[in-house]
Amino acid sequence: MARIKPKRHGVVTDMTAMCDVAFLLLTFFILTTQFKKPDVEQIKPPSSISEKLLPDASLMTINVTPAGLFYFQPVENSSERIKLLDNMAAKYRLPAFTNQEKVAFTKVQAVGVPMGQLKSYLNLPEDKQKAFKATEGIPMDSTNKQLIDWVQQSLAVNPDYKLAIKGDVTTKYPKVKGLFEGLRDIDFLKFWLITSQEKSN
Amino acid sequence: MAEVQVKDDGGKGGKVRSKKQNTRVDMTPMVDLGFLLITFFMFTTTFSKPNVMDLGLPAKPKPDAPKPEPTEIKLSNSISIIIGKDNKIFYHQEDQAGLNDQTLVETNFDREGIRKVIEQAKARAADKEKFTVIIKPTDDAVYKNFVDILDEMAVTGNERYGVTDIKSWEEAIYKKKVGQ
Repeated sequence: MARIKPKRHGVVTDMTAMCDVAFLLLTFFILTTQFKKPDVEQIKPPSSISEKLLPDASLMTINVTPAGLFYFQPVENSSERIKLLDNMAAKYRLPAFTNQEKVAFTKVQAVGVPMGQLKSYLNLPEDKQKAFKATEGIPMDSTNKQLIDWVQQSLAVNPDYKLAIKGDVTTKYPKVKGLFEGLRDIDFLKFWLITSQEKSN
Repeated sequence: MAEVQVKDDGGKGGKVRSKKQNTRVDMTPMVDLGFLLITFFMFTTTFSKPNVMDLGLPAKPKPDAPKPEPTEIKLSNSISIIIGKDNKIFYHQEDQAGLNDQTLVETNFDREGIRKVIEQAKARAADKEKFTVIIKPTDDAVYKNFVDILDEMAVTGNERYGVTDIKSWEEAIYKKKVGQ
């Protein structure tokens, strides 16, 4: 009589369910992710114990580089950006920007040039714009407060804008103080300082 | 599972029977890939959002508005913190007459440093509700120090603090201390 051989089973698990879950999560994360845009310049924010996260609200950002140069990052909304650009052009009595330049402006990551050079900056090809390193940034001193004008004109477009300031660890305080004073001048008193997470101790 | 079907060729050359094909597919690599992508997206979402700290500035007094009554803060009920260069930090509880090399004390940003100083000063204060910290960054200070001090205010739960310019008599002592 032939002996009945027990059938050999490999250790096989049904992965279908696991696969389902994995891809469900994957879909969720793909849909919710917002990629961080590459920074115009390396800025290392100081740490704080604050656990509040940067809100999603229409946000303009002022970046202060270690050297004390200012970049202004307007809100994302394209149509409002164009309005802002028109306002700024009118304010500085510059010739109107062409449609091409306006489109370029809706795509820029951050503005780091004085108003006078903005036109030529917007006409640069896209890859050159990305590689652009500001040499003077947006002027911000007691006589030439272009940075404050950017904020003010943005608020004129939509008063609900919020402002975040991202300064580097090594930024000199007088630069920041100048910015704060300028913001006080236009009565814009509530804003956020971007910090990095630090463990409470 | 998609196992390699080895054709059994040995033995009798009988009728070749088409073997029943197994329809199950090995999902392990797919699951691997799935989880790899999940990990990637999870990390990118969590870390893309920076933290923020609220800052409210006092409004500038209008030139035509009547001047408010100057608020008197008792010296013992307040502490002045001077942020100097090279991450140095000084504090005092004196007025112009009382401030000298000895009363302007240096400390540091550690837990044992400025935090203790603030807490002790607060404990000594007569009116703890109105204990005020006056922050005076010098022009040598860096942005980090400023944020650190604001952070310290949050840690010690001090709601009443003000940021102002350093007075000339304080600056004189400060300069003397840092050796300028």
